[in-house]
Amino acid sequence: MLNLDSLRFPRHALPSALEDLRREVRAFLADALVPYSAVVRSNTWDGFDPEFSRKLGARGWLGMALPKQYGGHERSALERYVVVEETLAAGAPVGFHWIADRQSGPVIARYGTDEQKRRIIPGIANGEICFCIGMSEPNSGSDLASVRSRAERVADGWCVNGTKIWTTNAHRADYMIALLRTDSGGESKHRGLSQFLIDLKHTKGITARPIRDLTGRGHFNEVVFQDALLPADALLGTEGEGWKQATAELAFERSGPERYLSCFLLLSRLVDEVRDHASPATLAKIGAEVAWAATLRNMSLAVAGMLNEGIDPGLQAAIVKDLGCQFEQRLPGLAQELVALEPTLAGSGSDYQQVLGNLTQLAPSFSLRGGTLEILRGIIARGLGVR
Amino acid sequence: MNELQQILDDSVTRLFAARVDREFLTATEEAGFSADLWSLAREQGLTHVLVSEQGGGMNAGWADAYVVVRACGRYAVPLPIPETMLGLWLLERAGAPPVDGVIGLLPVPIALAVDGTFSGDMPRVPWGRDATAFVGTTDDGRLVCFDTSAIAIREDSNLAREPRDDVRFERARPLALQPLDLPLDAVHWFGALLRSAQIAGAAAGCLELSVRYTSEREQFGRLLSQFQAIQHHLAELAGGMASVDTIAHAAFTAVDDDGFRTGGRDARFEIAAAKCRASEAVEMLTRISHQVHGAIGFTYEYALQFLTRRLWSWRAEFGAHGQWGEVLGRTAIEQGGDRLWACITN
Ligand SMILES: Cc1cc2nc3c(=O)[nH]c(=O)nc-3n(C[C@H](O)[C@H](O)[C@H](O)COP(=O)(O)OP(=O)(O)OC[C@H]3O[C@@H](n4cnc5c(N)ncnc54)[C@H](O)[C@@H]3O)c2cc1C
Repeated sequence: MLNLDSLRFPRHALPSALEDLRREVRAFLADALVPYSAVVRSNTWDGFDPEFSRKLGARGWLGMALPKQYGGHERSALERYVVVEETLAAGAPVGFHWIADRQSGPVIARYGTDEQKRRIIPGIANGEICFCIGMSEPNSGSDLASVRSRAERVADGWCVNGTKIWTTNAHRADYMIALLRTDSGGESKHRGLSQFLIDLKHTKGITARPIRDLTGRGHFNEVVFQDALLPADALLGTEGEGWKQATAELAFERSGPERYLSCFLLLSRLVDEVRDHASPATLAKIGAEVAWAATLRNMSLAVAGMLNEGIDPGLQAAIVKDLGCQFEQRLPGLAQELVALEPTLAGSGSDYQQVLGNLTQLAPSFSLRGGTLEILRGIIARGLGVR
Repeated sequence: MNELQQILDDSVTRLFAARVDREFLTATEEAGFSADLWSLAREQGLTHVLVSEQGGGMNAGWADAYVVVRACGRYAVPLPIPETMLGLWLLERAGAPPVDGVIGLLPVPIALAVDGTFSGDMPRVPWGRDATAFVGTTDDGRLVCFDTSAIAIREDSNLAREPRDDVRFERARPLALQPLDLPLDAVHWFGALLRSAQIAGAAAGCLELSVRYTSEREQFGRLLSQFQAIQHHLAELAGGMASVDTIAHAAFTAVDDDGFRTGGRDARFEIAAAKCRASEAVEMLTRISHQVHGAIGFTYEYALQFLTRRLWSWRAEFGAHGQWGEVLGRTAIEQGGDRLWACITN
């Protein structure tokens, strides 16, 4: 039977002490983002800038919730949340550290060996290590548990063969956390998977080939493993527990404010664009999206609060991502409905037009990456007890 | 939920879930105001949640009252509990004496004549015919309260057959006239606040019925809920419900935390966002709930319509999403794009 309480988004007020942190981050960003054009900012978590990431690291704003013992800052998940939402809303280029800070770091902190944590986490907290996610394969997208790339035990480690695809930043990342098959798993495709921490810069037999996306840029890759030899200690966590670990990793991936903030810059530019000639109908449409932004912010904050209190927010996170990506995907169309300006490529047209042009093209990916809309609806349906 | 909210939640659930069913709602639409249920609600203090302890109330905040108002929506309670709760709160806040019984809210500010009386028509006053007093504001921002001695009622109702009466005042002399530290259209703002919570409640009711029905009915040899198309409908319904619930609750909380400051960002932002989101959601909530129910949901015999007809009515009452969207759109433009984020994070 449906339990409505399980659908509640518990109200979460941020402690007022966090407002100091927020002010600090805003002041920093106001300064640090001056050199970046509007269209570059509209890439938010696709924006890639190692130097910017190191600056954030130097401030203590990366690896914030990771253990101090290994170079993290042991601050609360909520403090991290404030930094993350501020950087995203401002359109900071967070792509270099994004995956490491969001999911690889926490996964290593939870499942890694002492040695792995010692080796990796300081670099994450300093903004010096870039990670990528090796989950999807050519024949395994939504049906992730069907991955076929294998790691076989050899004399002093593992030998990996197979192909990963859509791997964001693989061509320039230092490490990949890969989900690989370690034995046949018998009947169950969920068993027999394991996670590996792969040093991309120092392992032979790995080639990353950038794949141009529809904007013409290449940020994701096909990664081919050909008898790539990994040391024994590349295994992350427990052999055979890869599915459980990857699910935990996806929970980190799905629960953040990035799931509704990709187009925020477009909304704020649109507000300025209509300022001088806004009819009541135009105001109403803008206002409805402002209401959505406020709603999603409250929902996202509730998810952060649940995480902070150790409550599993899987269902709530899926709902935020489902609603958030619809919100993001509506905005480019709305902009064109309200303002008679064409979208343009970077470098021509006004800032507004370039942002619109960029986000119009990126929008389809919002309901694909990190689990498709359909897969999320399935998760929600399971939460309702009908699956 | 805190302890008080848990207690309130338990007691409203116990009170309404057992009594406000299809038979009761059907009968009430014919017979009108249920004095029995009203006195039970009154005994449990539901109308007095926001009143101080000296005044015989619970001295609770709006965030606590949310639980009660939402429940009134979820069970389609055919009583002016939210309206009376607000009326009593306004009276006490202005230092006016409390009144007994049902309070009719005057949705728009009124102009008093030079002799201090009011003559004029108030359209669509909720439960006007059942009111023992009317509470509103004057166009110079004072709280005003009338008894029923100088009124005439023309009965009307909303789509859910809840009374929405036109009330004619003839040289009515206020029982109370007091300064009020709220915007002069306070009833409109708080009315919108109340309706957003009722919509959240009715949305939860629609979701419950939809999940239950599709988990019981079979077609093509399977339960409807086993079809992916139906599962996705239900997921969308759940998201819509949760979004309204979250922002409506945020608005009630904002009234406690921020109130109505003069000038600057205050609870009005969340209230406008809540009613805008809630009213906008009604289209999807009602469309999908009816869709997954098939023809049975379209009958008077099945309970869904008690919720959906309320949703269609509450969507418009105290301003629909167009009107509140306009308010928010104007706020956004006044702030400017660069300040929009700060406005959302407050
Ligand atoms: C910009 C971008 C970056 C990405 N970065 C990474 C990355 O860094 N690392 C990584 O591992 N992956 C990455 N991905 C891959 C992403 O996780 C997959 O695209 C996603 O999981 C969907 O898989 P697919 O593309 O194979 O689509 P498919 O799974 O083939 O799905 C195609 C369509 O069918 C639908 N569908 C599939 N199964 C069902 C079902 N059971 N019921 C109903 N509908 C269904 C899907 O919802 C979708 O609409 C990225 C993708 C994008 C677009």
